[in-house]
Amino acid sequence: MFRIFAIVCIAACALVGCGHSYHWSKSHPLYKKPPYANLAIVGTDEAFVLTRSAWFAKKLGWNPDSIQLKATAFCEEIFLNELRRAYPTFVKIPDEQYKQLPEESQKLDDRIFMKGRLPEQGVALKDSAGNVPPYILILHEFIVGTDLKRETYFDYALIHNENTGKKTSKNISAIVSYTLWDNEKQRPLFSAVDEIQHPIVVPTPKDLETLVRTAVKQIRINLYGGAS
Amino acid sequence: MQKGYSIFALVLFLLFFTAESFGQKVFFNEHPTIWKNADILIWSVDKDPAIDPKEFCLSLKRNNSGIGEPKCRLQGEWVRDSVAIRYANWLNANLDPVLKPEYLRARHPAMQAKFQALEDKIVLFVATNGNLVNVAIFDETASEPKAAGSILLSPDKISMGDAIANTFFGGTAKRRLSKDERKKMQTEPDEYFQETPVFKAWAGLGMGYSQAQVPLTPDNWYSSHVNSQVRNYRITKDSVSLWNFLDDSDPYLTFYIGGTWYDFIGIELIYHYAKHHMKTDPKDTVYQELDHWDFSQHEIGLNAIFSRNYKPASWVNITPFMFVGFQYSFFVEDIELKDNVKTPSKAYQARIKFEEAYKGALLGFGSHFIFLKHYGLGLRTGISSRGRNMYVDPSPDAAAEASVIGGSTIDWFIGAGLEYHITVF
Repeated sequence: MFRIFAIVCIAACALVGCGHSYHWSKSHPLYKKPPYANLAIVGTDEAFVLTRSAWFAKKLGWNPDSIQLKATAFCEEIFLNELRRAYPTFVKIPDEQYKQLPEESQKLDDRIFMKGRLPEQGVALKDSAGNVPPYILILHEFIVGTDLKRETYFDYALIHNENTGKKTSKNISAIVSYTLWDNEKQRPLFSAVDEIQHPIVVPTPKDLETLVRTAVKQIRINLYGGAS
Repeated sequence: MQKGYSIFALVLFLLFFTAESFGQKVFFNEHPTIWKNADILIWSVDKDPAIDPKEFCLSLKRNNSGIGEPKCRLQGEWVRDSVAIRYANWLNANLDPVLKPEYLRARHPAMQAKFQALEDKIVLFVATNGNLVNVAIFDETASEPKAAGSILLSPDKISMGDAIANTFFGGTAKRRLSKDERKKMQTEPDEYFQETPVFKAWAGLGMGYSQAQVPLTPDNWYSSHVNSQVRNYRITKDSVSLWNFLDDSDPYLTFYIGGTWYDFIGIELIYHYAKHHMKTDPKDTVYQELDHWDFSQHEIGLNAIFSRNYKPASWVNITPFMFVGFQYSFFVEDIELKDNVKTPSKAYQARIKFEEAYKGALLGFGSHFIFLKHYGLGLRTGISSRGRNMYVDPSPDAAAEASVIGGSTIDWFIGAGLEYHITVF
């Protein structure tokens, strides 16, 4: 009798889901083949954000007035170089036409909504040479900070929770939200929010570089994993 | 006979022919409302649409006798609108058997506004894609197709129209609402967001069954009462419960009226009737003079009700409730001697008498299932008791008094009733 009771409890637990876990990515049912060689990117100009900039300025020894500009430009450059190394045919689509699009939200899970611009249905984005790249990686947000948790940014039930003042930082972290866009059929193939933690003692620009590289690696792994 | 077979074969062939010859494939169909005398807007990005509006209207009339006089025309306005053209091209490229409607939603706000402004017109999207014709149906309720499919392209526009009408417009047609009716519908609150009713009342007629033993309790709590028999018209081992004298497991009839305020708290008046046989000992020769000896049990009670209302669908309400209350029980004797007995025995004359009335308590729970706002099914179960005579004041030497017969008569009951409900907002 007790055994049956225990089994029923476990089954009920599995059904209702004891302990909440999130889905951090969503694939289109027709996402079959991830991009191997050919990738375009858009959205990097405004995606990078540095939080705790004063802390970073102090630790990295950069000027606090220009830390935001300098750090985001630094990260963007590493990010693009890393992708350029990974994809032989890599183009950056200028952000001008992309920036005019309205922001929309994509639902990844019950409480996880990802905000970002998506190209219009029926309009293919073109690179500066006028070609239509088949796959576009749309970078919505790249948040750099310390000990960030992605649920505090993307779970709408937790968004307004205030961070408790923490003195020590064990990790520098990045939260990246992106969409792989099928530019030929204008549909989102794969959308995800990744969280990358990089342990630090004293942060250096090298740590920031490793963080961005890890993020790119993670994005690439997810793009492969998301295809069915 | 031979002829019958050939007609049957022909019908089968025709069925097969109409279903298969156009290579029809339905991706999904959420059965959008088909309006009587519908306005059908044919939306196509092709220079030469695969169906002809006039012929399509005739196809509709041929396939659906209830559709009345439909009007079909090309949706020229959308063909000249760049947002609509982009979405149309996109939809044509994206329609796929695998994709659910949510993947086909129009994201552009201007396009969504166009769908919302449709009122009760039906948009039929028809677009050639290779050797197929993609078909999708839109209405005002969503910016995604309500039904979609594909049909093998054929130059015969009449047969194309027939195939589409046959596949997607077969349902029962509904009368279109007038402007005033639409306006009224729009201002009516959504039924899922209606206010809690101020008062809800019901009356019910039910049947049930009661017994001394409460389920899941040990038999030996009751065995002395249940197995007891009446000797010599009055003697039992113990008389604390009436079930020492009367059969405990009997069906009952019940009638009740009640009401709740704000779907939360309420009262209910119940009447309960059952008939119990006296458990006479058949070995006792004194009963040979007796034709029958029964007691009718009449009970009137008042319950306080605590309930909660759930509405899983628009046509059903489920209202679980618990009740606690008190009741008065009356046991009316029905005894008769055999016809040939002139003078009853002494024991008969001195037979057991129950109290005139007993006061008791009720405790239980149940649920109303209310269909279409009025017609209810009520289920309930609980425990009821009958205590000491309410008219006797406790006296100083109560301890010395013999205990009241049937002063602790408890039973368990379960019942179902058919109810009629009235809601006052």
